[in-house]
Amino acid sequence: MPELPELNPVIHGKLRLALLSLLSGVEEAEFTWLRAKTGSTDGNLGAQLLKLEEAGYLAVEKKFVQRKPQTLYRMTDSGRQALTEYVQALKQLLGAAI
Amino acid sequence: MMANIEEQELKDRLSLIENMIAEGRRTTGTWAWTFVFWGVAYYVAILWTAFNHWPWAWLVTMMVAWVLCWAIIRRKVGSQPERKPSTTVGRAIFSVWIAMGVSLSLLLPALGFSGRFNQNIFVAVVAAMLGFANGASGMMIRWKAQIATAIVWWVATVAACFGTENQSIIVFLIAIFLCQIVFGVYGMILESRVRRQEASHA
Repeated sequence: MPELPELNPVIHGKLRLALLSLLSGVEEAEFTWLRAKTGSTDGNLGAQLLKLEEAGYLAVEKKFVQRKPQTLYRMTDSGRQALTEYVQALKQLLGAAI
Repeated sequence: MMANIEEQELKDRLSLIENMIAEGRRTTGTWAWTFVFWGVAYYVAILWTAFNHWPWAWLVTMMVAWVLCWAIIRRKVGSQPERKPSTTVGRAIFSVWIAMGVSLSLLLPALGFSGRFNQNIFVAVVAAMLGFANGASGMMIRWKAQIATAIVWWVATVAACFGTENQSIIVFLIAIFLCQIVFGVYGMILESRVRRQEASHA
């Protein structure tokens, strides 16, 4: 019997998974846009984004636009790879469950 | 560890991924007004040329329209609570329209100043360019209504090559009405529906 895959714990958290999925469809996104789309609080969102950044799945760019601070998040290649592997593992597990 | 995870939870995760990817890619920007705006600008330029015969009418109208359009876009973007992220498809569509605009802005005055301007060629070139941009955008986002406008422009391109000068301008006026005004208003209605849906889900 083939061994079932393990799900990446960094991605498995609901908010982190939502963030990675959102960022996979766009080139880059602002903190405020991610907050609006996920409906999470600033503190929780910042903490989850930091975890994804520390795992190397997100790249962060901070800059000033018209004197206002702007934080932009972009999915890295390893983040895309991790999300792809996570989806494949999910499908495999679901296939085994059915 | 994974053996304990419920099947429903796995399905929820998969559905969350699909929903969030779709949410990220969804462009709820308001661009339909630009079709109406440029349609009106074309009508102003045509009327100005018809009644005044001033050779700079098209150039001046298009320049003023570019500046006005840019100012309105900047104002709209600035008034949004959060900046919408750009997608690859969105950037591709934007690039097609900007490149088309630059091409027309260079070609048409050059034809005029070189003395090789001809009403039929003018309508055929503008219609072909607009057909190209609408066709490319429509195919990228798989929007049949926009592909239909491209077909109207391509029909106008061919018709302008065969008709008289007066016939070509009539074809142009009809194509502008259908592809800029009617299509633009239709797009604005669709956009307002999406905004209402978003507001009710918020």
